[in-house]
Amino acid sequence: MTKTLNRRAVLAGATAVAGTIAAPAIVGAQQAPIRIGLLHPVTGALAREGSQCREGALLAIEHINAAGGIKSLGGARIEAVLADAQSRPEAGAAEVDKLHEAGVVAIQGPFASGIALATTQAAARHNLAHLVDVGVVDTIVTRGLSNTFRFGPGFGAITRAALDNLVRLNDGAGKPVQTVMVIHEDSAFGSGMARLMNEELPKRGFQVVETIGHPSPQRDFTNIALRVRQARPDLLIPSNYLNEFILMARTLQQQRISVKGIYAVLGGAASNIRFVREHNEAAQHIMDCNHWYDPRKPQSQAFAAGLAAKSIDLTYETMLNYANMQVLADALERAASRDRARVIEALASSTFNDHIMPYGPTKFENGQNTGAQAVNTQIIGQRIEVIFPAAFASATPVFPVPSRG
Amino acid sequence: MSRALGWLMLAAALAIPQVSGSSAWLTFWITTLLFAYLGQAWNVLAGYGGQFSFGHAAFFGTGAYIAAILQVRYGVNPWIAGLGGVAGGGIVGAAIGWVSFRYGLRGSYFALVTLAFAEVFRVLANAVAITGGGQGLLIPLKPGVEHFQFVDRASFYYLLVALVVSGVLIARWLEASRFGAWLVAVRENEDAARALGIRVFRVKLAAIALSAAMAGTAGVVYAQLFLYLDAGVAYGGHVSVEALLGPIVGGLGTALGPVVGAILLHGLGEAAKGVVGATPGLNLVLYGVVLVIMLRFLPNGVVGWLKRWGQR
Repeated sequence: MTKTLNRRAVLAGATAVAGTIAAPAIVGAQQAPIRIGLLHPVTGALAREGSQCREGALLAIEHINAAGGIKSLGGARIEAVLADAQSRPEAGAAEVDKLHEAGVVAIQGPFASGIALATTQAAARHNLAHLVDVGVVDTIVTRGLSNTFRFGPGFGAITRAALDNLVRLNDGAGKPVQTVMVIHEDSAFGSGMARLMNEELPKRGFQVVETIGHPSPQRDFTNIALRVRQARPDLLIPSNYLNEFILMARTLQQQRISVKGIYAVLGGAASNIRFVREHNEAAQHIMDCNHWYDPRKPQSQAFAAGLAAKSIDLTYETMLNYANMQVLADALERAASRDRARVIEALASSTFNDHIMPYGPTKFENGQNTGAQAVNTQIIGQRIEVIFPAAFASATPVFPVPSRG
Repeated sequence: MSRALGWLMLAAALAIPQVSGSSAWLTFWITTLLFAYLGQAWNVLAGYGGQFSFGHAAFFGTGAYIAAILQVRYGVNPWIAGLGGVAGGGIVGAAIGWVSFRYGLRGSYFALVTLAFAEVFRVLANAVAITGGGQGLLIPLKPGVEHFQFVDRASFYYLLVALVVSGVLIARWLEASRFGAWLVAVRENEDAARALGIRVFRVKLAAIALSAAMAGTAGVVYAQLFLYLDAGVAYGGHVSVEALLGPIVGGLGTALGPVVGAILLHGLGEAAKGVVGATPGLNLVLYGVVLVIMLRFLPNGVVGWLKRWGQR
């Protein structure tokens, strides 16, 4: 039996072919957006950090949507559902319930460790994947919550890197540092860091001469500066948030207090370009061990350009949130589903490498990305340079730093 | 009038979980009721006794910390640990009261002393190891009634409804009992009360111990609800402000005032978020403006205004 082509058959065929070609675009256009909860403390004591987090995640969503959305879900766009944790754990936990009812498939946030402990637990009740963007306290991922993932490094990994690199730095310069003073804010983050420093520094040959805690916010560092002058440590190790860090650095500069180095661990401003821009003299040669991106990656350049176009400061909060959203988008792509359990499974099996951080492919063990690592930066001139690890270094360290005499 | 309002509120409260399956809605009510009960604790001392405390966080935080420390550090059953928290809150209240009233501190001096104690406790909780220092205390997640962690959120809700009802009953008892009459007499004129033979020191001490034990109870429930405590959460200034704002808005020295005030304030907070959307902080501005207007035009609180209106 043969079939002859007539005008009707040709028209039907052409329509079918056109339909097939156009189908993905039409389906994409019709796909309901995938809702992701962005939960950050955009009001209260952590408002600045929370807002930076939000901006980083929103930029990533913009880039992912511009690149065609989630292709395995017909090009569905990601839609951010914004929530404010108000810098308080109970407010964050309450927002999780609202995000659950808004139909989000995952939550990203909430910057602070104390809030993360509450929000991850609240999200677990709804079997909702929760990517912890910054919170570094190790207990966040050691409670057996299968919904909780942390792409960035925790306390343990960061302090290990910080201490190892400090020893390397000191040895390389002929061991100028023997005494250390720790200045920390007194919440979960700073206190945990101070305790760890007090335990670990003596094992590495450093003497901790004094440890000073202060609340956040703290609006006067004169007394702390005077205590630094009195104790005359070789090295200062501060762990505090942005405003306190800036105030501390400015006070030390005004009081002309000279040390051989300021070596922050997760310093609030030491890796913040606004600090470098606005308080350049006070910021000079401050070192930090912190979250930082790999600026050589092409994705990183798109990220930095995107921030610059929006006049948003390049900070680690923006970096981590951008990268977390990339990880989440990859998980959605592989899950090819909006089902929450499937998204959690996809995150747990993630081996994503096209992110902006210097980590290598993701590998979550009990929710912690085992490849995550912190890097060392130093403010030199108008730039924040990477000084460790050598593979990502853009400058050699200036250490010991020139005296302020 | 207020009795009818009370029954109406109780009926509505019991119906809420049945009417709506929304977990966000339930969380809103759980938080609101928790702070309504804390407000009632403050109302017992300030509303009925005239002793204005700016530091109820000291009692709230102590209750929460004792409950958490007993179970995390010493493996005590959470229910028993909770009782320890309630007792601890009361004892701290009595101790602060003893020091303050013994030396005749009244009015703004008493308020400042309570504020100072709350702040000292916050600093101490940050510094000592048993509270976990700045890292705080994490109560292990073990869902189950025996661990004072309900799988069903509605159970927490009903527990809080029961607590709030108990708080209203305490306030009612104060209005009807001899002790309540002594307390009101102390509030109205301490010297006149003393002249009438009322043992002012004892009455004030009993009132602060009762109020602090209630605030400690709120702290225990908070700890079991969120399973995480740090010094800022437990002893933060916002806790003391939450404790006093509800009764002031709702009606100071009235049994239902703290409940009405907490519902209005939390409802207003949520509504403000809905009105201004995602703009950070604008909801707080709107919240503040409405609060100022309410305080300007309803100086006796909403329940006070309703009573006056009912008498017309």
